[in-house]
Amino acid sequence: MPIDAASLLDRHRNGDGGFGARAGQPSEPEPTALAALSLRDDRAKRWLVEHQREDGSLSIEAGPYVNDSATALAALAFDPGSDRELALDYLEASRAARVGSTAATPIDASAIGWAWATGTASWVEPTARALWALRVARPSSPELAEAVGLLRDRESVGGGWNYGNRVVLGEDLPPFAQTTAIALIGLSGYDADLEARGLRALRRLWRIESAGGLSLATTLVAFRVHGEATEAVRSALERLVSATSLVEDSVALGWAALALGEELPGGDG
Amino acid sequence: MKHGVDRRAFLRGAVAGGAVAAAGGLGLRALLRPPPPWDEAAFPPPGEARVAVLAASSYDGALDSIVLEGLGAIGADVRGANVLLKPNLVEFDPLTSINTEPRLIAAAVLAFRRMGAASVRVGEGPGHRRDVQDLVTRSGLVEALAGVGAPFVDLNAASIRKVELRSRYTDLRELWLPTPVLDADVVVSMPKMKTHHWAGVTLSLKNLFGTLPGRVYGWPKNILHWAGIEPSILDIAGAVRPSYAIIDGIVGMEGNGPISGTPVRSGLLVFADDPVAADSIGASLMGFDPAQIAYLAEASRFLGQADPARIEQRGEDPGQLTRAFSPPPLGDGITAG
Repeated sequence: MPIDAASLLDRHRNGDGGFGARAGQPSEPEPTALAALSLRDDRAKRWLVEHQREDGSLSIEAGPYVNDSATALAALAFDPGSDRELALDYLEASRAARVGSTAATPIDASAIGWAWATGTASWVEPTARALWALRVARPSSPELAEAVGLLRDRESVGGGWNYGNRVVLGEDLPPFAQTTAIALIGLSGYDADLEARGLRALRRLWRIESAGGLSLATTLVAFRVHGEATEAVRSALERLVSATSLVEDSVALGWAALALGEELPGGDG
Repeated sequence: MKHGVDRRAFLRGAVAGGAVAAAGGLGLRALLRPPPPWDEAAFPPPGEARVAVLAASSYDGALDSIVLEGLGAIGADVRGANVLLKPNLVEFDPLTSINTEPRLIAAAVLAFRRMGAASVRVGEGPGHRRDVQDLVTRSGLVEALAGVGAPFVDLNAASIRKVELRSRYTDLRELWLPTPVLDADVVVSMPKMKTHHWAGVTLSLKNLFGTLPGRVYGWPKNILHWAGIEPSILDIAGAVRPSYAIIDGIVGMEGNGPISGTPVRSGLLVFADDPVAADSIGASLMGFDPAQIAYLAEASRFLGQADPARIEQRGEDPGQLTRAFSPPPLGDGITAG
């Protein structure tokens, strides 16, 4: 009987209903939100509700910094209602810090997305997560255009996305499968050319990075969101899950369970 | 197990909250002097250090014998210790030389076992890539470690504990550190010898960025970049306190490191029982003046020894192996995401 990602992830559940980065570790927001999303799990949702702050965020503190980047995933996992609305309100209000363009890191300084932690700079993945949550759960949000603007500015030369900048010290930073996939999961129906370049890059990148479960799983979700053919990447992911259990990483398993599951937040493209 | 017992006792103290230096007996000059940004009780003045530089022309052959010779030359003692090797694994690009070479890591596993280590694990929390499974597979680390039966620990996903900082170069106050790092008797920093466009060089101190979990600090450890790369290097090194360093200079990287530089065949390995001494000698071997690398100069005030007169050098004559690396391009800002 083949091993499936959802069953593997389900074994990581803690007694408090949440999920840690690996089995047996204390529950944390990101793996719990992914489990709640992919397993449609009420206990995981309850953990998220119990750990949601008054301001609506789900977070881990690191000294004076607060990593609130799981809030978007939690917003998607919450059922429609006040908890979700509170998380979406937080997302709309919690934009990254404004930073200037420099010769070393030329950017459009007016493009401001979302950060990994409060008060720090914009990055591709947290911006794409916020875009995904707002697109699905609050499609009239004025912040959607801001997220698209950031991803447009940070697009790698030729298409796709690195984790942050397009160019550093004169070097074009290459796109990766996982970062390109997460950007495309957020982007859907906003900029046809930008999305087409990203998909073209991702069709190439996932085959290069196919040794990794997170890359394959996010690629499959991105392909489903954009109505791309999924058979090849689905087969590769299923094989990797069976062969490696995705090294028992809860985040990778959460994405894989979502990718191989029946329904995506916002539906398939 | 002097290193292991000392290191774990230090970290237990740090977790418990740490002590502030006693102020008794200070003269007027001391009273007027601003206190250093570290707890003096936690960081006694750096003592003597030992560094060995050995020629190694290739990653093939009996590399474990060279590693064993180097560790012997610095008097490393790991009998009965649980050892964690911390290589530098950032991204994978088959065309360049970003990462500590997996064959060297495997050789170090064998060498530490031959020296009587109770266990040897390899741990890294890659800074740039969230998909660690892909990175460790394509870089060849999975295959190399399978060959010697050593486990890999993804420090980005490992269990973590909060440790109060005993230095104050950043505003972080505390760090989340992986328990495999905190619970190891001996941590060995195993960096690539390469330039770094923001910090000058990546050697055994900068390599410790990879001990912090990305799931807390973001990718590429963004909170640390925001708090300041050089201040973060000092605070992290003060919290992790590696016992030994092995610098992979067989093939290094010059120019626009740590990712986009050019491979340099230096043909050497550096071994040290002090990370500051390792990096001082390492920087010199790259043709740089260690005193001009700001964080390294500051580290020599409390983390380790940079005074050549107090570094016992063994092995090859470093002067014969020095090869001037092209410096990194000058950056003028690191804040953009």
